[in-house]
Amino acid sequence: MEAYLIAIAIITAIYVLLALGLNLQYGLTGLINFGHVGFFCVGAYTAALLSKRGFPPLITFPVAALLAALAAWPLGLVSLRLREDYFAIVSLGFSEVVRLVATSERWLTNGVQGISGIPKLMDSLVPRAAEPVAVLALLLAVNLGAILMMRRIANSPFGRVIEAIRDNEEAVKSLGKDPAGFKLKVLMLGAALAGIAGAFYAHYISFISPEQFIPLVTFQIWMAIIMGGVGRVSGALVGTLILMLFLEGSRFLHDVIPFIPDVEMASIRLGVVGLAIVLFTLYRPQGLMGDFTRR
Amino acid sequence: MTGFLELLVAGLNSGLVVGLAALAVTLVFGVARFANAATGDAMSLGAYVAFAGANVTGSLIAGSAIGVAAGALVGATSYLLVFRKLVGRSSVTALLASIGIGLLIRAAIALAFGHQQRTFQLPLVRPWRIFDIRIHPNDLNLAVVAVLALAVTFFVLHGTPVGRRMRAVADDLSLARVSGIAPARVMIALWLLAGAVTSVAGIMLGIKAVITPEMGWEMLLPAFAAAILGGIGHPVGAVVAGILLGTVQEMSTPFVGFTYKIAISFLVLLLVLLLRPQGLFGRVEGAR
Amino acid sequence: MIITRRQLIATMASTALLSSNRASFAQGSGIFRIGAANCITGAGAAYGTGMQKMLQAGVEAVNAAGGAAGLKFEVSTEDTQTQPQAAVLAVKKLIEVNKVQALLGIWSSGESLATLPLANDADLLFMNTSGAPALSVPPANAKGLSYRFQATNDRFGRAFAEIAEKEGFKRPATMAFNNASGIGNTEGFRKAWEKKGGKVVEAVVYEPNQSSYRSELQKVLSAKPDVIVTGSYIADTTIILREWYQTGDTQKWIIPGWAANSDLIKAVGPEAAEGIISVESVSNEGSDAFKAYDAAYQKAINAPGLGNAYAAMAWDMVIVLALAIEAAGKADTAAINAKIREIANPPGKAVATFSEGKAALKAGKINYEGASSALDFDEYGDVTPDFSMSAIEKGKLVRKYIVKI
Repeated sequence: MEAYLIAIAIITAIYVLLALGLNLQYGLTGLINFGHVGFFCVGAYTAALLSKRGFPPLITFPVAALLAALAAWPLGLVSLRLREDYFAIVSLGFSEVVRLVATSERWLTNGVQGISGIPKLMDSLVPRAAEPVAVLALLLAVNLGAILMMRRIANSPFGRVIEAIRDNEEAVKSLGKDPAGFKLKVLMLGAALAGIAGAFYAHYISFISPEQFIPLVTFQIWMAIIMGGVGRVSGALVGTLILMLFLEGSRFLHDVIPFIPDVEMASIRLGVVGLAIVLFTLYRPQGLMGDFTRR
Repeated sequence: MTGFLELLVAGLNSGLVVGLAALAVTLVFGVARFANAATGDAMSLGAYVAFAGANVTGSLIAGSAIGVAAGALVGATSYLLVFRKLVGRSSVTALLASIGIGLLIRAAIALAFGHQQRTFQLPLVRPWRIFDIRIHPNDLNLAVVAVLALAVTFFVLHGTPVGRRMRAVADDLSLARVSGIAPARVMIALWLLAGAVTSVAGIMLGIKAVITPEMGWEMLLPAFAAAILGGIGHPVGAVVAGILLGTVQEMSTPFVGFTYKIAISFLVLLLVLLLRPQGLFGRVEGAR
Repeated sequence: MIITRRQLIATMASTALLSSNRASFAQGSGIFRIGAANCITGAGAAYGTGMQKMLQAGVEAVNAAGGAAGLKFEVSTEDTQTQPQAAVLAVKKLIEVNKVQALLGIWSSGESLATLPLANDADLLFMNTSGAPALSVPPANAKGLSYRFQATNDRFGRAFAEIAEKEGFKRPATMAFNNASGIGNTEGFRKAWEKKGGKVVEAVVYEPNQSSYRSELQKVLSAKPDVIVTGSYIADTTIILREWYQTGDTQKWIIPGWAANSDLIKAVGPEAAEGIISVESVSNEGSDAFKAYDAAYQKAINAPGLGNAYAAMAWDMVIVLALAIEAAGKADTAAINAKIREIANPPGKAVATFSEGKAALKAGKINYEGASSALDFDEYGDVTPDFSMSAIEKGKLVRKYIVKI
């Protein structure tokens, strides 16, 4: 029983990391990133390929974060020149291109066959039986680290500039600060978090393929932060929890609601995600936990 | 050489469907000023309703009429229920809400019709050969429909009072208000028109390909790209851009292969936004 | 740690809900617990429900005959959503919460590749219907616990090659849907064809979900093949065939049975579909085991058992497992594993149901001839079913002959 709960906790913690990254980007700078799953994908494939070649996590994780951040760089440069909704569309295209590359470059990614047999994360460090708990502990530590880092950023001069950019970009420019560089850094930071999440994911599921990195994942994370409340770390946490409860909980739904055929469950899940996004956007844009941003 | 010409024809053909979808996108983008991500799924809905209608009435034309009416209705309803309440908020909010609406529509379609493919029952015919290039009568029909849709849109926008008001609202909302134009009625008319065009695009796509719950969503990125390429708010631009994109995409296949050709719309979109944000026909409004 | 507590409370709530609805906490001896990880939703939804029901029906049949080695069977079911991630969670739950002793019914390659490591860790038998070659060998199948009841993609390709040769084609081209199954089929074909000394004149891989495949088709047609072999699905096949027919070209097509069926004929019309060769791995339709399966399927689903070849495989999974347990005499994975080939492969007395096999085991070695195939497992745990060649004539699918590879 505990092992099952730990499994759910691990997936949840991975999603929290994704939500924290997205929340950093949107909450602090207002960047609408519809391509978050692209960074997730880069991190996952990097960790998978490197660890299968024998590199230890101490190397693969930072490289995964680095490559995800680097992938964000050209996207970031583009974002500076574009209106928010245009950027949103471009970022969606970006994540699809990442998926196409993963599909097409067979020599690198094994294409649609995917990469299987990714080694477990803590295998060499702890006994087999304790491995999941160790992974969960590490994940929680990383999440905590991300949260602390975000708190420090928010309270630092850098963070104050970010908030000022969000509130009034022209004023910031007139003060001689360069909002572009800051926005870029935030985008890359959020991407790095997604890359680390991807690395954890690859090790945990042990099999990755391009079809696991589709835009729907991005929109599920969006649903999480909208419901939880943007701009607040607690919002990302609460929102992700609700998301996971929904995704895993719907597994048990057919016991409670027997007259819905199981086959339709996937459509119902999709519909509920859509409805949640619409309702929260309409009636509670600040989410459950409240909103720091003025949007 | 024939090979290239055939690719050109293939591109023109797929570009027309993209162009129709882009027409729907650009109408909403131009007047309501946000990117409606539910366009794709609304296309699917139009196709499904037309399919059901054709089955019930036994006629494709009648079914399509029902599909177009349904599309118009869905457009107006989503405005009344959702988008009207989001006026004044950032355009991103509306974009987000439209994503949610799109997912809802897709779920509803899948629940109502199931996931297996449907097809419009149309007779298959052998093509005509002109200068050793194959031209299919169906393609010509598609072109005719696209031109008709454009013509109707043009007529509404330029030849009717409500269309003039739409263009006024598109140009400058506050000025339009000050001139006494009641935005609500204009918007309803706009969404009826956009919804109808969306359905037409969906039905044409369904006739060309197969009808599945995901069919419209796949068209979304190319439609956005074409709308932006053509210049937001320019109906002719959207259709021309759609054709251009489709053609470039197909003709690029000998160079980039069949997987990456899909990325071409994205690349074009990016280049346009960076180099000439107003698109081919638009005014300099700025993408920033 | 706030996060841990919140998560734990939330998940405990959902698990409490779960446990109140499952009668699967039976501990102690006398019971053998099977975990059914089926794809009830998602891409495999058309087959998952049938497979689940047949796993349950098989369990009923085994229990009706008195169980295996004195143990009654119980089955816990979970939906894998045809997604690797959801499959991992589903299997984790089955292993950790329901404490199953074997995993049956995993359908797609992605799900199998993600969950076989879990079975290996927990030392559980793993019976699936996936096609990916990677499942046969280490590292995936390092412990030899995985048994595949469906033909590998390779074998499909070989069947295509046999049929192409028999029909006298000389210049085949291939078109593959860009996923593991589509490419697996056409690669299998290419390997087998080249082994016969032939050459594939053109090979195209196309992306899914497009509205037109004209340029891909054009590339294939420009190589002037006399037959086009596909690894495709019904939606893309429909579009491709339509566009092909409208080119006026005259080659033949060899298409997998899940794409070349009555739905396809309905979609493109009998004229365009005329002459298409449809290839399917066939259930062991003449066998007595199939009759037993068909009866159970009709009872549970009210449709002919022919409609879902995977359901026949699911039925066989339970019977094979039960017979192996009976032969081993105990519920130990290694002991059971050692007996699987013994009871399923020749030589031995041919049996068709569990009760028959249970009785015959007292007298000597048996050979279970299954409903889905003869079930002779090779050293990788793979089977080699027969394949049927059917042709579409005047709008109807007509079975022509069976191919054995």
